[in-house]
Parts: sequence; C-alpha cells; structure tokens
Amino acid sequence: DIGCGNGKYLSTNPKVWMHGCDRSPNLLQHCTANKHDVLVADALELPYKSSAFDAAISIAVIHHLSTEERRVAALKEALRVVRPGGVLLVYNWALEQEGRFGGFKEQDQLIPWHLNKKFGTDVVGHGEKAEEKHCVVYKRFYHLFKEGETERLFEAAGGNTVRQSYYDHANWCAIVEKQALSM
Amino acid sequence: ANMILLTHNMMVSPMKEASKSVPLKIEAEEVQELEKEFNLDFLVNIIDRLDWAGFLEAAAILNQQGLPSSTEEIDKTNEESMRKLHHALMEVDVVTGALVCTETGRRFPIAGGIPNMLLNQDEL
Repeated sequence: DIGCGNGKYLSTNPKVWMHGCDRSPNLLQHCTANKHDVLVADALELPYKSSAFDAAISIAVIHHLSTEERRVAALKEALRVVRPGGVLLVYNWALEQEGRFGGFKEQDQLIPWHLNKKFGTDVVGHGEKAEEKHCVVYKRFYHLFKEGETERLFEAAGGNTVRQSYYDHANWCAIVEKQALSM
Repeated sequence: ANMILLTHNMMVSPMKEASKSVPLKIEAEEVQELEKEFNLDFLVNIIDRLDWAGFLEAAAILNQQGLPSSTEEIDKTNEESMRKLHHALMEVDVVTGALVCTETGRRFPIAGGIPNMLLNQDEL
C-alpha cells in the first residue's frame, strides 16, 4: 500500500500479506498499535525490490504530487515493484466531483483541512489561523484528475495495460496490469 | 509496527547509486519475538519469492539457526521445520537498529519497528 497513511487498508484481506509505506512517520504511528508491517518512504523512491509484489494499491496519493512528471514517475515506481502480470489499483480525486470539494475549475488546488479544536489550536508547521472558526487550517496541495487523465499518465509510464478505469465516489480509478516485458 | 525478515527480503536500498539488487544489511539493537498465525499455504507460496541466500544471512544476524541451506532442502510436509521457518520469517521483529546499504554505506534507522527509508535532499 503506497501511501498507506494510518494503515486502514492493511487488514483488508487477512489471507494476504500486505506491506505499507508512507511519507509521514506520524501517520505510521497509528499502524504500530495494529501491528502492521510498514516503513517510511517516498513514493518516488520505493525501497522495494523490482517485481516483489503480486499487487499494489495507491489510494488518494498521487494527486498530491505537484507536477505531471512526478505523477508519471510515481506510477512507474508503483509498476516497478509489482511482478509482471501483477496488478496496481490507483484512486485520485476527480475535478468533476460535486459536493464539498466540488465546483473547482482549475486542477491544481490548495484544499484546506480545518483541524478540530480539540486537537489543539497552536499553529504548527505550515498551518494558519482561521480566525472565523478559531482553529488552525492546513492547506494541502491536490492536482484534481480529469476524466481520461489516469489513462494518459499510465500510457506515459509504459509497460502496463489498463484493465479497468472508472469513477467511484469522486475519484478517478484504474486497475492496471504490469506487462511481462520491460521495466 | 514491525520489521520482520519477510519485509527485509522484499527490500533494497533506495539510494540512486545502489544497484537495487542486493539485500540491505541488518544492524539489530533491540529485537522482539512476535506471534503470528502459522499459515502453511502462505509459507509454501512465499518460499519461491524469497532471495534465500539473503534470508539466511539476515536470519543468522538475528540468531535464527537450523534453517535449510537451500529451498531444495525444504520439506513442506515436515511441520516442525516449517514452523521454524515461519518463526524466522514472520515472528522475529527488529524494533531498533538500522538497515545498511552495503554499496554506499548509508544507514537507514529503524525505530519502533519502522525503518525510515527517506533520502535526504542532497541524495535525491
């Protein structure tokens, strides 16, 4: 699970051994309590052998990378660590979504996270005071995906075949098979 | 979280200059033993995916003895030896220590059972 965060998907199937990695050591602390196998790593420099895994997932991760070059590089890395014939599942937030995070016209956005007051009101890191709500706001970068963009990025990454692509709850998603040759 | 030998066997150094084909070297300071459900089917599947020499070397560092010296020597019907393999692969957890890239010398620390494999800015 590339960008596993607090490990919420790591127990999905108890018959399968899953490994998780995330860039945030603090989020991974949540995995400690649940005794998951995790490590701190960057999606662009995965510390796994090539073709190590039968499958990989990367859910709501690649949309945080700020250039197309880096987003394609992340897909290439994810494909690298999956074995030929193995599958990769990716989910990224959609530009076309409606509701709370809908109505955006531009793909590159800073989307605010209002930290619940009960977790503290001191400004840490790049947070800002939100005067009206008396809490701290963190703005997070998202590149919202357009319809067809996921397929285009996988085409650029190479060495794969998109088996399914679909829209699911405000996300553009794809299930992709790593090809037998290359990589 | 845990750093077990199965994880170690799937890993390589993320350093640019590293070949991505040799194991990291384990430095173990604090080690603990876990209890993980024995699953013979899983073990039989996973054996074919392991770098066996790398596994034996790492197991030796963690004082796991009596493992088969090659996969050909594994008797899948011998429950005692399969449980021993299960133990070495899944139940020995490096809590504190490091994973060392033998090609560059770079040490990646392990704390609380979590290896930190992030590269520094000047290593990117």
